[in-house]
Amino acid sequence: MPGALGIIVRAELLAFRNRLLKRNPVGLAALGIVTLVAGGPIFVGAFAIGVTAGHFLPFAIDPLLAAAFTGLSLLMLVVGFPTVIASLFVGRDLLQLVVAPVRTRDIFIARLLLAMTANLLISALVLVGVLGVGAGAGAPWLYFPIAVLLLGAQVVVITALQAILMTMILRWVPARLARDVAAAIAGLTGAGLYLAWNLNLRQTFGRKGRPDISSLTSIVQRIDWLPTTWPGHTLSATIEGSFAGALAWLLATLVLAALLVAMAELLYERTLLSGLGIFGGATVVSRRRAQTAIVPSTAKGAGSPSLAIARKDWLGFRRDVRRLTRLLPALLLPIGYAVALSQPGRTLSGFWSNVALVTFLSMFMSSALASPSIPSERRGFQLLRMAPLPMWQLLRAKVLIALPPVLATMLVFSVAVAVASKSGAGQLVELIVFGAWLALGFVSISVAGGAIDPHFEATDDRRSVGLLGTLAAIGGSVGFSVLSIGALAGFLFGEQVAAGAASIGPIPTTPPIGVAMILGGVLLVIAACALAGGLLFIANARLRSFEAGITATT
Amino acid sequence: MTAPFNPASPAVEARQLVKRYGTIAAVDGVSFQAMRGEIFGFLGSNGAGKTTTLRMLCGLLRPTSGIALIDGIDIQANPLAAKARLGYLDEEPFVHPHLTGREFLHFVADLYRMPRGPQRDARMTRLLNLFDLAQKDGELIGSYSHGMRQKIGLASLLIREPSVLLLDEPTNGLDPRSARLVKDLLEELAARGTTVLLSTHILEVAQALCRRVAIIDRGRIVAIGSIDDLRAQAGSEGANLEDLFLKLTAGPESREMIERLLDAGS
Repeated sequence: MPGALGIIVRAELLAFRNRLLKRNPVGLAALGIVTLVAGGPIFVGAFAIGVTAGHFLPFAIDPLLAAAFTGLSLLMLVVGFPTVIASLFVGRDLLQLVVAPVRTRDIFIARLLLAMTANLLISALVLVGVLGVGAGAGAPWLYFPIAVLLLGAQVVVITALQAILMTMILRWVPARLARDVAAAIAGLTGAGLYLAWNLNLRQTFGRKGRPDISSLTSIVQRIDWLPTTWPGHTLSATIEGSFAGALAWLLATLVLAALLVAMAELLYERTLLSGLGIFGGATVVSRRRAQTAIVPSTAKGAGSPSLAIARKDWLGFRRDVRRLTRLLPALLLPIGYAVALSQPGRTLSGFWSNVALVTFLSMFMSSALASPSIPSERRGFQLLRMAPLPMWQLLRAKVLIALPPVLATMLVFSVAVAVASKSGAGQLVELIVFGAWLALGFVSISVAGGAIDPHFEATDDRRSVGLLGTLAAIGGSVGFSVLSIGALAGFLFGEQVAAGAASIGPIPTTPPIGVAMILGGVLLVIAACALAGGLLFIANARLRSFEAGITATT
Repeated sequence: MTAPFNPASPAVEARQLVKRYGTIAAVDGVSFQAMRGEIFGFLGSNGAGKTTTLRMLCGLLRPTSGIALIDGIDIQANPLAAKARLGYLDEEPFVHPHLTGREFLHFVADLYRMPRGPQRDARMTRLLNLFDLAQKDGELIGSYSHGMRQKIGLASLLIREPSVLLLDEPTNGLDPRSARLVKDLLEELAARGTTVLLSTHILEVAQALCRRVAIIDRGRIVAIGSIDDLRAQAGSEGANLEDLFLKLTAGPESREMIERLLDAGS
């Protein structure tokens, strides 16, 4: 590798190694185990699907491969965008490279290699499937190295295309904002695909019988002109033994990749020289309209720290595109599941299935909204620590800030599921009260979890709570759910048993037994309160003893 | 239980403050007093323990041992009362990037339960004008330069008129005009009875402003007193603060090192 390029790549690898070594060894080992356990079956499954398709659908190999490469290209285009932006256009370390006597081409190639990492990871799964197709179809040995080469070329094509698109977008949008929006789109796409798979495709593939691929063939015929299908044509020609055709498609793919890289490099250089990307560029978007006149305050009385924190959080949340964009994908999953599980075909019985849905959604919403409450203060937390404000007041303020949106969602959701399942007014009220109770408990526990192990320097809310805090929040929430559902069951069944209107197996349905069940419910409610209160108590102690410095983040 | 506020007590007092990280003592038995209306300089090289001492005094760090008193109130035993009296400006001010300057000042004022109303608004406008921030009123702090952040940080202290100011490199990153403004402002505040504890390594600032200084080196105070006292301690009549500082922190050999470095390079 030539001089500067080699130095930059070596530095990147060194930084990666250092980041890896800095991590907690236990967490690293756990991540490795999870990757192996989850990744192994996925890759084996992809290979098996490829082998099956290659063996049993020889007539459909060309559309299948063309569709696989096209689908992969679309997925990479959407999901890999944030990495491309982060590598090529954002990051203070880029400034150092730009001011150093290094050719922009070297910077571009080094960063392009880095930018390709996300796309390479995504393409690895498709590669395994494509290799499986070759194995199933009895392809010549040449098929396999060509498949690897084509996958690599496709990654280069898409990454270069993303770089080209960004050089155009950056003329109007600052790089950081573009990255955040791209991350949100990628997240929404990922969540949408996952939902679509779970709600639709899994059932389709689960059915016995031969799949009908006529629609797939028809689609591929319509997009046959797209360069994304060329690698598929190369490989199907190789399987058929048409080496001249394969060579033509292969050359076309490689020439396209080279052209796109050259164009991307040219535009990248111009973008940097124009002062866009890392230099900020179109910062006007991050500015607010200048105020023309200051409206005199009519408020009276002493300022309230809790209200001040609430106002500050609301303004910050509204203006922080990054936080907003990262919350959206998180919210898509529970809402999608809720809609799916509310369908008439679900197996759970009416009321208790609604209780399960309300519990799940409440827990998820609280985790997404309340867990980052304390860590999202970032360096501003020091300001709160210096103020004459006890930490329990801060915790209380954070709970009260996160509670209304969770409560509102729970209210709307409870009414929706109760109406969908044709529940009576009584059950609707029970569901709403239960939902409100859960929201209060889960929000308190989630805020406590975030305060127990805050990562104030995390720029991403999803990583702002450490392992200890996450475990405390999850464990606490699960415990709170069990206790709350138990208490609800105690109240509802106890009332029926006391009235002699229920049968619960061998237990006699007498008023004393009913009262005992209701008292058991009360004890469970007390235990749930103690659980949430205990976690808040620990959180308060942790915040009071917090001493670490918090470096500024962007 | 700590004694209540005593007007006759020193405004800031460090009593044998120690802060250890494992076996390393970042601050090792620091003691001094700053009186009411005094600008007290706290000087030291990078990593000498200035910021750690200041953070113990303002309650951000818990001392391993020793006591930090603000207006006679132990900040560890009675943190809310002590914090209500002091204002601390960090080297990199603690600000919220998604608020405008005015919104940030309102936030801080509310945190300290300042009465709301036209008087508060007028004071804010005066401060924003004083620090040349009024024309940036509609912009988020995230878009401010370092110097502007420093100024909005200072304004957030002055909005509530604390009796003790702990300032860590307050002129860092300021343009000459703003630096001069800050110096004049500190002198005026001190004249009105505010105590200023000024941590800096810009010795000209300390020499111009401080009635007394303490020099900290490797976690320990090596000299304390007026410039004349320090001259007497160092046995260097007529020396300026820079020479005294270098002598007391054993720094003159750096000149020799520079010469060696340049000789090796030529």
